[in-house]
Amino acid sequence: MSAHTHADGHLPHEPEKATLEGRNKVLGFWLFLGGETVLFGTLFSAFLALRDKVGEGNPTANELFNLSTVAIATFILLTSSLTSVFAIQAMHAGKKVPMLWWLAITVLFGLGFLGLEIYEFYEYVHEGHGFTTSAFSSSFYTLVGFHGAHVAFGVLWISILIGQVLKKGLNVVTAPKLYVAGMYWHFIDVVWVFIFTVVYLMGKVG
Amino acid sequence: MTANHSTTEETKKRHKHEGPRKHIVAYILSMFLTLIAFASVIGGEINVSFIIFILLMMAGIQVFVQMGFWMHMKDRGHTFPIIGILTGAVVVFTMVIMAEFWAWW
Repeated sequence: MSAHTHADGHLPHEPEKATLEGRNKVLGFWLFLGGETVLFGTLFSAFLALRDKVGEGNPTANELFNLSTVAIATFILLTSSLTSVFAIQAMHAGKKVPMLWWLAITVLFGLGFLGLEIYEFYEYVHEGHGFTTSAFSSSFYTLVGFHGAHVAFGVLWISILIGQVLKKGLNVVTAPKLYVAGMYWHFIDVVWVFIFTVVYLMGKVG
Repeated sequence: MTANHSTTEETKKRHKHEGPRKHIVAYILSMFLTLIAFASVIGGEINVSFIIFILLMMAGIQVFVQMGFWMHMKDRGHTFPIIGILTGAVVVFTMVIMAEFWAWW
């Protein structure tokens, strides 16, 4: 069984775990996600500690946030998580072309989410909510912007993986990369669940 | 080659059997939990700490749904990942509690 045979669709049952390298990659990525959890945790705790420190005359969370934009962004990211799971399922079934399409759709959803977030930040800055306006604004932009940066990185990463699969095919070398990128995308979605809950919805409630 | 072929067919069959259904269920469940969270804020009028309790409950359940189904944590052989992520979660929980309740004591 050469890599060429694998590229024809004769993949093992779980191609991402077929090699030791692949298994190590998945385990290592889980440890990375543990570290990412702590990293986002520090940003969340900073935001929670500072979210009421608005200062005189600056916009508060309740005045600022527009829930319909957040709802659309949430819908987009949640759907992109589903399309990325379909991509991994297509990969497990050895269907390269459907997998690439699902990945492309995931990337498009990611770009849509980023567009909304950029528009949202643009609006906030125009309403007098800059990065240095207050402790609340700094911690808000750091937390939400850091998540946005993760989305941007994910979009770039998955796009490059699409290119790599087009060039080298779907085999036991590329499969772990796709699997791990899928996990990354789900993790970003899970972080967003906490952002829309803690930042936006709890910000609206007060 | 024939033997190889049949294993591929078997693999395909098993995956077809697994299907996308449980992922669609996880998606609809996540949607539903999100909807409850947004509705409880837009609907207002109930007291604030109760709404926050609902919000955190919905987020907590949704994380279990998504990590279980989509990040495959329900599948076997995920002991180390679960330990890794739980360690992270314990640290985060401690930090968040500290910041929320003791930072401005």
